[in-house]
Amino acid sequence: MEKQLIISLGREYGSGGHDIAEELAKRFGLPLYDSNLLEEIARNNSVDHDELKKYDERPRMPFFTRKVRGHSNSLEETIAYMQFEYMKKMAERGDSFVIVGRCAEVKLKEFPCLVSIFVLADAEAKIERIMKKFDLTREAAKAQIKKENYNRKAYHNFHCPVKWGDSRNYELSINSSKLGYEATTDMIEAYVRKRYEKM
Amino acid sequence: MSAAQIAALVIFIGMFILIVTEKIERHIVSLVCALLTLVLVFGVFMHSGEAILNSLAIKSFIEPSFWYSAAESSENSSGINWATIIFIAGMMIMVEGMGKAGFFRWLCLRLAKAVEYKVVPLFLAFMIMSAILAMFIDSITVILFLAAATIELAKLLKFNPVPLILSEIFCANLGGSATMCGDPPNIIIGTSLGYSFADFLTNTGLMALVSLVFVIIYFYFCFKNKLVSKADSSTVYPDPKDAITDVKAFTISAVIFFVAVVLLVTHAQTGLTVATIGLFIGVVTLLTSGKDAMVLLKKVDYDTLLFFIGLFVVVSGLEETGILEIIAGFIADISGDNAKMTVAIVMWVSAIASAFVDNIPFAATMIPVIRVLAETTGCSLPVLSWGLAVGTDIGGSATPIGASANVVGISVAAREGHTIGWIRYCSYMAPATIIVILISMVCIFVRYF
Repeated sequence: MEKQLIISLGREYGSGGHDIAEELAKRFGLPLYDSNLLEEIARNNSVDHDELKKYDERPRMPFFTRKVRGHSNSLEETIAYMQFEYMKKMAERGDSFVIVGRCAEVKLKEFPCLVSIFVLADAEAKIERIMKKFDLTREAAKAQIKKENYNRKAYHNFHCPVKWGDSRNYELSINSSKLGYEATTDMIEAYVRKRYEKM
Repeated sequence: MSAAQIAALVIFIGMFILIVTEKIERHIVSLVCALLTLVLVFGVFMHSGEAILNSLAIKSFIEPSFWYSAAESSENSSGINWATIIFIAGMMIMVEGMGKAGFFRWLCLRLAKAVEYKVVPLFLAFMIMSAILAMFIDSITVILFLAAATIELAKLLKFNPVPLILSEIFCANLGGSATMCGDPPNIIIGTSLGYSFADFLTNTGLMALVSLVFVIIYFYFCFKNKLVSKADSSTVYPDPKDAITDVKAFTISAVIFFVAVVLLVTHAQTGLTVATIGLFIGVVTLLTSGKDAMVLLKKVDYDTLLFFIGLFVVVSGLEETGILEIIAGFIADISGDNAKMTVAIVMWVSAIASAFVDNIPFAATMIPVIRVLAETTGCSLPVLSWGLAVGTDIGGSATPIGASANVVGISVAAREGHTIGWIRYCSYMAPATIIVILISMVCIFVRYF
């Protein structure tokens, strides 16, 4: 791509946001970063990626955490901080990419090439998707969606001054269960192309 | 309970909860709670202008003994302990100067070179250096530099830095317990109860020395299988001299540090109080820093100093209203006439509390308590003080949140991808903490009873 383009995609668990991000990355020919961002960080530091992954996009444990002069013993917090720094570094050196979650819509807000999107879905659509994807019962899927969305929300709201999923923080908030995943992706793609022309 | 006592207690508990939840910066919490103490407890409920003046302790500045005294006997535990504030501020300025000149990184690399970059000797040397540095410098700074140097060397020599960082953290907390200026609780205890540097060195210092031997053995056996380097012959070692950013500033900062150590060690003989030493060291560092003076001043951790100021006022609310006497009476009731039991309770309660809450407010709260305990039970005040100092200083090592050095060490390691979670941390550090508290308790029982 001639000009720099960063697409940040926040998503509800079960909304298909990750698949949409993957498809967008393919269509724009951009690398996709999600938990693999930690793989890069782990590789750079010669450490075990699985060890870092345990703390990825997780909220910190309030009563088990203490902060001292900008340092925190919370691994969730430090791993998040490492990812924010890494994202910023990539953006500063002019890289174009698609990034899933990780508060990117806030942490990269200063970059004019950022297009921020949030994908949500109807409760029933999310349950069906998670039941099918992980072969779960309805109750188990519901519980998993509740837990994961709680974690994402707590993680986001701790690291950002704005609320997770609040449409005012994103250029585009879209319900993937209305048009279906493909049509939703088409719509986002069209929007991003228009935005890219205007950059 | 009177309205003033209830208000003081509610403010204190509220402050603790807000500090633990970290929703609001802790210095703002302590200052707001201090204001509430002054207005509600002393003003509205006690109608005592004297209590307000005692709490602010402004008049201590004009007392000659605040600046020059054979010991710190003039300092009152009630109210803001300005000697502690001035000393910590002065040392912060000195340490910033040393760090900026590259002193700490040079020291680490020099030591690594001296042990020929071998992992086991490095592990032992860094533990000892951590303890020695922490005797004079705050443990946060010690770990900040030591952990960073350990990770740098670990990358170079291809070893796992976590065992070294854990043992350095523990030794920094242990070294801090050895002297009056090593850990904030000790400065507060020393200035409040009138102890000298030598008093600490010959009491808690000896306990720390004995404990250090056991701690080194303990950590060696915990980690000996992990202290393996995978470096090959092509490894290029850094030159310690490269760590020095400015030779002149480096020399000056090393001299100032040496002078600070001499002044602290001899302060009982020279009569200079820690407030004077802190002020002198801070001013000299600024005067010799030239145009960097403003940079050093900006880097002082004012939030911590403000936190201390607020904290002292809130604790004075508990003291003036007699709440701490009630707590002391409760401890005295449990221990009966058994002085050994009283010391053991103070030590273990301090250690367990410090493992989970900030040891500075805890120590500040406990000083008036042990003073009352000494008066009512006949138990020796110095012995209770050493028990309190060791309990608060060492207890903090047991959990990741117990002491500032732990938080900083874990964070520095995590930023380089080396994770130290609660279970991993506590499995090594909690037993070490128990070992040291037990050793110290035995030392106290053998020596003073």
